[in-house]
Amino acid sequence: MRDLYKRLGVPADADSRAIDAAIEACRHTALKHDAEAVLGVDARRDHYDRLHRRLSDIGRLRSRLGLTHAPHWQGDVANDFSLPPDIADSRHQQLTAKVDALVNAQTTLTRWRYRLMWLIPLLVVVTAGVAFALGWLSGL
Amino acid sequence: MAPAPFSPFELLLLKSRNQTDTAALLMLAWVMASKGSVLPEDRHYLDTLAARFRHGHALQPLIEIAAAQDLTALQLAAEVLQKDLWREQAHPFLSQAIGLATSDGPPSSANNHVLRFLADLLGVSPPTFAALFKEVAGRALPAPADPSHADYWQAREQTRHRHDSYSGQGAHAGAERETPEPDEATPRQARESWRERRARRREQARERERQAREAAERRAREQRRREQEQAREQREREERRERERQERERREREEEYARAHRERPAYGDPASRALRVLGLEDGASRQDIKKAYRRLAQAHHPDRVFSQGEQRMATASLRFQRIQQAYEILMQDARFV
Repeated sequence: MRDLYKRLGVPADADSRAIDAAIEACRHTALKHDAEAVLGVDARRDHYDRLHRRLSDIGRLRSRLGLTHAPHWQGDVANDFSLPPDIADSRHQQLTAKVDALVNAQTTLTRWRYRLMWLIPLLVVVTAGVAFALGWLSGL
Repeated sequence: MAPAPFSPFELLLLKSRNQTDTAALLMLAWVMASKGSVLPEDRHYLDTLAARFRHGHALQPLIEIAAAQDLTALQLAAEVLQKDLWREQAHPFLSQAIGLATSDGPPSSANNHVLRFLADLLGVSPPTFAALFKEVAGRALPAPADPSHADYWQAREQTRHRHDSYSGQGAHAGAERETPEPDEATPRQARESWRERRARRREQARERERQAREAAERRAREQRRREQEQAREQREREERRERERQERERREREEEYARAHRERPAYGDPASRALRVLGLEDGASRQDIKKAYRRLAQAHHPDRVFSQGEQRMATASLRFQRIQQAYEILMQDARFV
């Protein structure tokens, strides 16, 4: 399936007036004929849009997973719906990183809780000592 | 630093007892969501599959995620699946996906692309996938329809027109026109035959399963019989060995008895009898006696036959006592000082 919007040079959510204008301006006879037949009728355009969205999704998935040159992705579909490959963006790695961050935060929290357990009594003792010393000094 | 929140699917995946199954279920739910019209049987089929999986959480959230077309979740599930299922391992999963997509006729255009995406994702080549599709659906994998051509719509209108005039149900077909499924245009007969073929195939599959079960039972019976046979042989062999051992002991006892009776002529002289017990001739030196005693005592010590049963230990003990007595007699004898 071809991406008629891409070939006409209009966004996929363009209104019918913009599309009519684009069809008028189109110089490619066969494309013009097909675009008129498909996008000019509302029911057909609805149906076409549904598949178009689905194929855009699959194209995006394929580009993220590095499957844009796979044996089952050939012809017009592969030409029009493939995005530039984007392998770096692995969701699994992201999930692992999130879990790692969570584990690190938990570890830090535990460590600080231990430290605080010792620090608070120490602070209390020091404060009491200082107060006592001050009282003693002022008593002199 | 505040960690980023987890998406619903990430949470499900982390809680899941089997991440592969969770990912596979999400993909199957995606296939179901791409069908256009979901039959109650499909939902039931997915429930059955989910019951057989080992994920250990509810199915409904997955169906909702798939229906919402959450690309991030789908990508994560695809990565998990790709990691765990590859080539032949993916065949059962792909069969389930094909079965779900073709439960009410040829797969929808969206599902056609989804199935091809899954095949690419799991490294299944087009010929293998086509064979798998034919096996499950009983029909070759159709090429994806192309609604971006005017021809597609003309052919579709014609089919529908013919169908309308044939069945005389214009109003019904008009209502059908509103449904999103492009394959609604296929004549009802085709769908009926598709359904019949599926039913027949299911019947055949059930028959095959039954035969396989019977064969397995036969094999199990055969196996049990063989095991019993082996156990019986083993028992017989042990009994034979036991009999032989008893026979040998009996013979030993008899020999001992015979030797004791043979030695009776030397009864008069305890010293020469003791020398016979130690296996020596008259006129042996004290050194010879000590050597012979040590050798025999070692050879006939009851501890040597400790592991072979009480009876053997008792006989060995008798022999050992006799050897000891003989030695003591000889040591007290003035002739061997």
